Amino acid sequence: MSKILILGAGISGHVAASHLRRKLSKEHEVVVVSPNSNYQWIPSNIWVGIGRMKSKEILFPLAPLYKKKGIGYKQAKAISFFPEGDKNQPKPYVLSEYVAGDKKGQQEKITYDYLINATGPKLNFEATEGLIPGENRTYSVCTYSHADHAWHGLKALIDEMKTGKKVKILIGTGHGSSTCQGAAFEYILNVEQELRRHKVREMAEITWISNEHKLGDFGMDGMLLSYGSMTLKSYEMVEMIFEDRGIKWILGAGVNKIEDGIAHYENLEGSYKTETYDFAMLIPAFSGHGFKAFDKNENDITEKLFKGFMIVDADYTPKPYEEWSVKDWPETYQNPTYQNIFAPGIAFAPPHAISKPRKSKNGTVISPAPPRTGMPSGITAKLVADNIIDTIKSGKESLSHKGSLGNMGAACIASAGYGLTQGSGVSITTYPIVPDYEKYPNTQGRKLGKTFGEIGLAGHWLKLALHYAFIYKAKMRPFWWLIPE
Amino acid sequence: MTQRISKYQRFKMMNPIIQFFKFIYLSLKIMFVVASGHGGTRVEKK
Repeated sequence: MSKILILGAGISGHVAASHLRRKLSKEHEVVVVSPNSNYQWIPSNIWVGIGRMKSKEILFPLAPLYKKKGIGYKQAKAISFFPEGDKNQPKPYVLSEYVAGDKKGQQEKITYDYLINATGPKLNFEATEGLIPGENRTYSVCTYSHADHAWHGLKALIDEMKTGKKVKILIGTGHGSSTCQGAAFEYILNVEQELRRHKVREMAEITWISNEHKLGDFGMDGMLLSYGSMTLKSYEMVEMIFEDRGIKWILGAGVNKIEDGIAHYENLEGSYKTETYDFAMLIPAFSGHGFKAFDKNENDITEKLFKGFMIVDADYTPKPYEEWSVKDWPETYQNPTYQNIFAPGIAFAPPHAISKPRKSKNGTVISPAPPRTGMPSGITAKLVADNIIDTIKSGKESLSHKGSLGNMGAACIASAGYGLTQGSGVSITTYPIVPDYEKYPNTQGRKLGKTFGEIGLAGHWLKLALHYAFIYKAKMRPFWWLIPE
Repeated sequence: MTQRISKYQRFKMMNPIIQFFKFIYLSLKIMFVVASGHGGTRVEKK
């Protein structure tokens, strides 16, 4: 009998738990540890943030589902890792602390045979002074509660605009090394459309602020894509959309301080500037959770497990941008020191950025971190689960399932406005996610045709269809496993 | 504001009938891109 411990119940952790439970017999134990009581379908937070969807439509409680499916669940947060156990506990374990219920505040050594670290990122708002969701007129859509809050702020602003007040709206990234530009991109387009729906668009000046060097970088170094019968660069497509919607932009901006209605930022030229606003939604930097790890003698071995995020089978050798290779990226998400530990989704430490790193003239890093959200999180979690299943069933280590971001396609269906007949979406697929300049030297590392963009109502329907399909899948309804990650 | 998307393009982008077929096409195409497999990069497939 084996015990598989999964830390985190987001897209990655939940996908791993679902597949493990489905494919392993009940003699094997699957346990999820998460401080969150609900599963949330994060991509739909955008619609919560504009008041077109209630947060209850994008979440459901985990405990009843896990109980029904025979998955153990502890509402607790991981504190430290003991991959060799300790003097009193011979099995490896994770020290965790309950965050709710009768055991709140109690700590427990949760043992495991296999560990899947799917803790995702820490939303590092502290990295930017004054960037606190709901304060200083700044908001976030990173969680459903943040998105709810953002909608209340936006609604109050729309009411003021209806009385004749002119306002400034600032949306984008709130730190020089933020990622997840896609979420901010979706939100700015949705806000713009909502203002038109409320007939107050002319009362607002909307500005995109981002650490990207060019529009459409999205932390992926931009892309060359097929668009209809043309081949466009992603910045050309995003520029077309922004100009058409009357959205201004500030690029190469590392926001470093927020005051009430004022964003302070440094640009790549090294100038320190400010931008005023009445409503801002700024994505924070992501960071690791700061976990510690100890060996059986309780010596600190954190550097064997973590490099900010968790160390996996990537090539972390520092090298200049020109020498980066797609082969540096991990394939199995297995920790090289402790081979029963895996980190799929956002929890693994990337070997390097995807976008070319840039610094301001003052030395401040102003370039996007690599995005590893949504679909790749699900795919990497499933392949980790499949490798563990094969290993348990065969009795010997099996790593036959591989999935490098350099050999994996991703779809980003970015909402550009909500509404069954008035909605819009920007559908972009990228293959591969990490550009492979050896295979595709003439098309910026990606395969044309498989890397394409489309704009229109169908994109909105697609995103809505994915919303319902993935919540159905997450609830593990009949034949859920037929829906791909 | 600069009109970068022509009225005809906008009509095509927002026409429910055209977009219905586009929805089917996109669903299949995206399925092809994302579900057509993935693998490593360090060893060539045999």
